Amino acid sequence: MEFPSQLLYAQDQALLAIMIFVIMLGMGSSLTVNDFKAVARSPRGVFIGFLSQFGLMPLIALGLSILLGLPPAFAIALILIGCLPGGTTSNMFAYFSRGSVALSISMTTASTVVALFMMPLLLNLYTVRFTSQISETMRAAGAEADFVIPTGNIISSLVLVLVPVAMGMILRKKSPGWAKTAEDTAGFVAIMVILYLILTAFIRHGGLFLQTPIQVYIATIGIGMAGFFFGYWFSRLVGMYPLFQRAISLETGIQNGPVSFAIILLSFNEPVQSQMLWLAILYSTFIVMSSSVITLYFRHKGKFDWDVYKNTQIHNRLFGNEYVTNYPKDFLPERLKRDPSQGTSPIQKRD
Amino acid sequence: MQKTKNERIVADNLADLYQKAANRFESLPAFATRENALQWKPVSFRELCNQGLDLATGLIDLGVEARDHVGLFGDNRFEWILSDYAVQFCGAADVPRGRDVSDNELEYIVTHAGIEVCFVETEVLQNRLLHMKQKLPGLREIIVLDPKAQVKEGVRKLKDILNTGARLRSEGDTRVFGRIKGIRPDDLFTLIYTSGTTGRPKGVMLTHANMISQTRNLPGIHNPNDRTLSVLPVWHVFERVIEMYTISFGGCTYYSSIQTLGTDMINVEPTFMASAPRLWEKIHEKIWKGVKSSHPVRQVLFHIAYFLSRQYKVSESFLNKRFLEIRKKPWWELMFLFPFHLVRWLIVLPWYGFFNAAVLERIRLSAGGSLAATISGGGALPIHIDRFFNYVGIPVLEGYGLTETSPVISVRPKLNLVVGSVGPPIKDTQVRILDVETGQVLFPNKDLPYEGRSMRGEIQVRGPQVMAGYYKDEELTKDAFQDGWFRTGDLGMMTHNDCLKILGRSKATIVLSSGENVEPEPIEMRLQQSQYIDQCMVVGQDQKSLGVLIVPVLEAFRLNGKQPDSLEDLVLNKEAVQVIRQEIRRLISISSGFKNYELIRDFRLLDRSFRVGHELTNLFKVKRHVVAAEFNNVIQDLFLNGSNKNM
Repeated sequence: MEFPSQLLYAQDQALLAIMIFVIMLGMGSSLTVNDFKAVARSPRGVFIGFLSQFGLMPLIALGLSILLGLPPAFAIALILIGCLPGGTTSNMFAYFSRGSVALSISMTTASTVVALFMMPLLLNLYTVRFTSQISETMRAAGAEADFVIPTGNIISSLVLVLVPVAMGMILRKKSPGWAKTAEDTAGFVAIMVILYLILTAFIRHGGLFLQTPIQVYIATIGIGMAGFFFGYWFSRLVGMYPLFQRAISLETGIQNGPVSFAIILLSFNEPVQSQMLWLAILYSTFIVMSSSVITLYFRHKGKFDWDVYKNTQIHNRLFGNEYVTNYPKDFLPERLKRDPSQGTSPIQKRD
Repeated sequence: MQKTKNERIVADNLADLYQKAANRFESLPAFATRENALQWKPVSFRELCNQGLDLATGLIDLGVEARDHVGLFGDNRFEWILSDYAVQFCGAADVPRGRDVSDNELEYIVTHAGIEVCFVETEVLQNRLLHMKQKLPGLREIIVLDPKAQVKEGVRKLKDILNTGARLRSEGDTRVFGRIKGIRPDDLFTLIYTSGTTGRPKGVMLTHANMISQTRNLPGIHNPNDRTLSVLPVWHVFERVIEMYTISFGGCTYYSSIQTLGTDMINVEPTFMASAPRLWEKIHEKIWKGVKSSHPVRQVLFHIAYFLSRQYKVSESFLNKRFLEIRKKPWWELMFLFPFHLVRWLIVLPWYGFFNAAVLERIRLSAGGSLAATISGGGALPIHIDRFFNYVGIPVLEGYGLTETSPVISVRPKLNLVVGSVGPPIKDTQVRILDVETGQVLFPNKDLPYEGRSMRGEIQVRGPQVMAGYYKDEELTKDAFQDGWFRTGDLGMMTHNDCLKILGRSKATIVLSSGENVEPEPIEMRLQQSQYIDQCMVVGQDQKSLGVLIVPVLEAFRLNGKQPDSLEDLVLNKEAVQVIRQEIRRLISISSGFKNYELIRDFRLLDRSFRVGHELTNLFKVKRHVVAAEFNNVIQDLFLNGSNKNM
């Protein structure tokens, strides 16, 4: 397949860099030190989330790559996406899907830190067969060296991305007003830039959409959907409360796209860079749509248990922590009745 | 499964409803009273029912007979609803009124209703009643609700009667259950004296069947997870029906107040709420103030969000056929507009989705964030307020009704939100429109185009919620009905999507000397959109042209760079008069859709605002006759030497 190298011009790369900065700054602006402490308060949820994010997701990516027979560069990109930490977008979706925002935030913060060593580890583990494929083609073309995953570069780009996050956290502490603005602007900027990238790609390389193998489309849409599906059922089977199931499901499926842009731009070179970038762009586009749909579905499905949770929470808030809400016998389904966390779940993070 | 969760209790009468609610919802909270912002005291359905039975037994012991009228003077508090429980369990009816009742009204009501036993909320009310004791020979017992009140000699404490009743019941007194069995559907549950917008108080007789039909027929899906925030006076039937309705689905009513509404909304996160238009105006004002004082970038984001939401919602309501159809739109017009709206809807959808989530949700959070529906009643909701709340995503279901119809006649259901209308008549309720002059039935009338839709006339109602009549006033009762239909006295029309649209109160109609009939309400509502105008009343009966009395918004003015101290400073201030003049010209003009004779030719600023209980009813409706009497000299002056003095 002929794939255009130089997918992005220099000015696009600059734009992308600014976008990554703004988004990560927005992410930091929504965080406080307390969010890190909160991780310790709900270790079970965060641990289940960790297994789901770094256990299931990379496997889903690998499975899809093999199943669909993706070209190696795309496969590496998909696995890279599978190993990413969560982003702040998932917190917003968790909120609207009536999931636990607190857990979503805890998972985002925890996974961002853990990604520093988990990502390089998992990438090296799962991409072996694809890197060797690339090395063979490169050698056939006359190259001397083997293609290897640039582990050191990946770690340093991850650290680099964390700088604006830290800046955002400082901003939040110094000026909450600006921090809120940064938070709101970030989401908007992300959508604008992704649209711009898609549009420029369309104008410059009109045939790109047609050249892209159908498998890539299936993979980019499928990885998110599979993440939602397995995240939901995995957390359900281990007995999480519906509120947490929805948060874990969304957190698993939604990855921090901007981080993947940063890693691809800073750590990979042609001939793989453009293809990897293209897959990341497609994923970022499709994930917004699919998570919107899933969120609406969760919101509808979860109304009842959310109402129960909310009502008991407010009873405890107003009538004291010892107050016990007793519903009529046939009112709660078995699954909610058994749950020990009912009414005592961590207070939602809202401002 | 899901269906049984949202089931309402079906009962024969209120006493039956209270008992069935206790049996089904047991220890769930029924009412909660505020001690401070984050400390509320709940009382469960079971507790309330038991205490009600105790108090009822105490009342029976005091000699309260079935079908007696028991006075209940006070405002929202737990003891109020407890007293109501007891009165219903006794098989008696209560005669409620708020703390702000005047001495004249108090005397009239106690005498006219033949009240022997009377609950009063406070010490002050107790003293006022004792003061006029000689004029009220029939009044035997006064019971004070407030547990902290100092009771005078011969006055009883609620607590004592409760204890007596509890003791009697533990000794095997079961008289109360006999009383409950004896309640018939057409027995009164309450006798409400309305001062309304005209004349002397009338005793509206409402029966158990009236109220039960409302709890059965109100549209809405609720269950015990719902929280109702209560701010309107409970003795008003609109608030009362909301409380009864809340009991019927097992929700909890939280007693808030106008002063604490802001914080209570955030702490209680109500899912359901009833309120008067004036309150929505206040909330609307507060939200705008919040937006204006926020970060500039956020202000821009809000305006973008609001703009997108408007585009989205207008197209959405068009595609769902939920637009106000006053005139029948021809099919080709719909065909022509359909693709436009569809394309706009699709284009705006993702942007709306994002901004709705990122920006408008924060606005909704200032109202608690859980409000699924809010009902506005007791007056017309200004259209810009109506639109605002629907665009930011807090659906306001405007309803229509009178005390005489206990009260809901129609309400916009959540899934058929036609902004500008008061929705279709509720279940089992029939509405007809009569020509005011000829008395001809305009709707439903098969001989007229579209069966008489979009024809304006007087609204008349028939249904299970219509009152039994006015107490001891057969003549007034006869006047209120026409061939078995209740005459609301309001003007309205049926739109082409079968929603009722209210066009004003026929009794408020101003007839100019030229013979033109003017409805003042639309003009007043339009004027109130101005940030400078707080309250106003259009006058001009038998005059050549209209004038208006205006209470300006003090805070909106700056005179010589500083805020004026009082309304009196504004009255004679040329600058202020000029500002108001321009506002009137801007708002009421031919180009904004008013007719020539509807234009305001003169106005006067008033030096004080209308007060609740005096110039305003408790639902903030202007009592026209009171204002006309109070400001008689201003009106005289207004029309003294013809017009064109001020405009």
